[in-house]
Amino acid sequence: MENKFDYQPSEHEAEKASNSYLMSLIALIAGMPLPIINLIASVIFFIGNRKGTYFVRWHCTQALLSQFSLLFMNSFGFWWTISIMFGPETISSKYIGYIITILIFNISEFIATIYSAVQTRKGIHVKWFFYGNLTNLICKA
Amino acid sequence: MKKIIFQFVVLVVLFFGLWFLLSNINWMSAFKIEKLTDDTEIKIGKAVWDLYKKTEKENKDEKAVNAIDSIVDRICSKNNINRETIKIHIIIKDDINAFAMPGGHLVVYSGLITACDNPDELAGVLSHEISHIELDHVMKKLIKEVGLSVLISMTSGNGGGETIKQVSKILSSSAFDRKLEKEADISAVEYMINAKINPEPLAEFLYKLAENKADESTYEGWLNTHPDSKKRAEYILEYSKNKIKNTKPALSESSWKLLKENALD
Repeated sequence: MENKFDYQPSEHEAEKASNSYLMSLIALIAGMPLPIINLIASVIFFIGNRKGTYFVRWHCTQALLSQFSLLFMNSFGFWWTISIMFGPETISSKYIGYIITILIFNISEFIATIYSAVQTRKGIHVKWFFYGNLTNLICKA
Repeated sequence: MKKIIFQFVVLVVLFFGLWFLLSNINWMSAFKIEKLTDDTEIKIGKAVWDLYKKTEKENKDEKAVNAIDSIVDRICSKNNINRETIKIHIIIKDDINAFAMPGGHLVVYSGLITACDNPDELAGVLSHEISHIELDHVMKKLIKEVGLSVLISMTSGNGGGETIKQVSKILSSSAFDRKLEKEADISAVEYMINAKINPEPLAEFLYKLAENKADESTYEGWLNTHPDSKKRAEYILEYSKNKIKNTKPALSESSWKLLKENALD
């Protein structure tokens, strides 16, 4: 979903905002085995840019918020897998269904992140479904 | 704000809806997971039992086998359990023990039969072990203790006698998780109630095990693999409260007498 931003961001701002998505992309890949890593990485980047311009802060916030929901989904899947491997749980259709669901959500997020990184780099504002509105609520000019 | 809540609900519904839909697909048969584990379990069971029967003496006396069979038949038929999946073996040994092996092999020591005061106590122990088989506890325990790769290597034929020996030792002399034991106890009580056998004697048998622990080493078998006997007896009694109706002994007096007489043959 693309919307007009309040102002036209400068080249420098566009680069920083785009980096916040790239950061969360790398963190997502690194965080696959241990989901907490992607959240930590996004939080660090968010803190680092909290004094940045509105455009940069806005996109850092959106990237961070989207990581939160993935954190819950992936953590649940992670511990479920651990309890199957080392605990009393066994593989079931419910488990496989869950893994496929989080895989679909992760891939969607992955694609949306790449798209957002490319668009923000060009200075185009990208507002995600739900997360965009939530960011508007949290991130004030 | 309303828009955000609405979009949030849409996302949550999408997530759980997708999970629900995907869960309804039978992935287990699509990926042939169940079939693989069933075949593996039967092969492991055969390997363990083949080695175990070489080291122990099996009682094949018809009267004893028939008596045990009639108890197991009654439990299985009243609980929709495929009787052919349970293979009973009476082993001549003084220890009071019974345990389940993979592939539905259920080993009962003659010492257990002679230690029971009535057929309902024996039916209780058998129901408990059948529950372990039916609830797939045996494979869960083995996967946890020796690992799936070792178990699968046993089925290839060159798994090595040592591993199989170790597996049969784990099965005969180490305990299940407390959670699994409780599950098997509760399920055993249900089996017995459905088969119109009084579950109270199972609790009495557990009390007896706990009390005799100090003075008889033979009591150690089932007691070692089933700790907290008193506590278990208590919740068995609690769970079966008000559920016991029109029960009949697991065996007639004459069959029980024949079983006890022929258990050690």
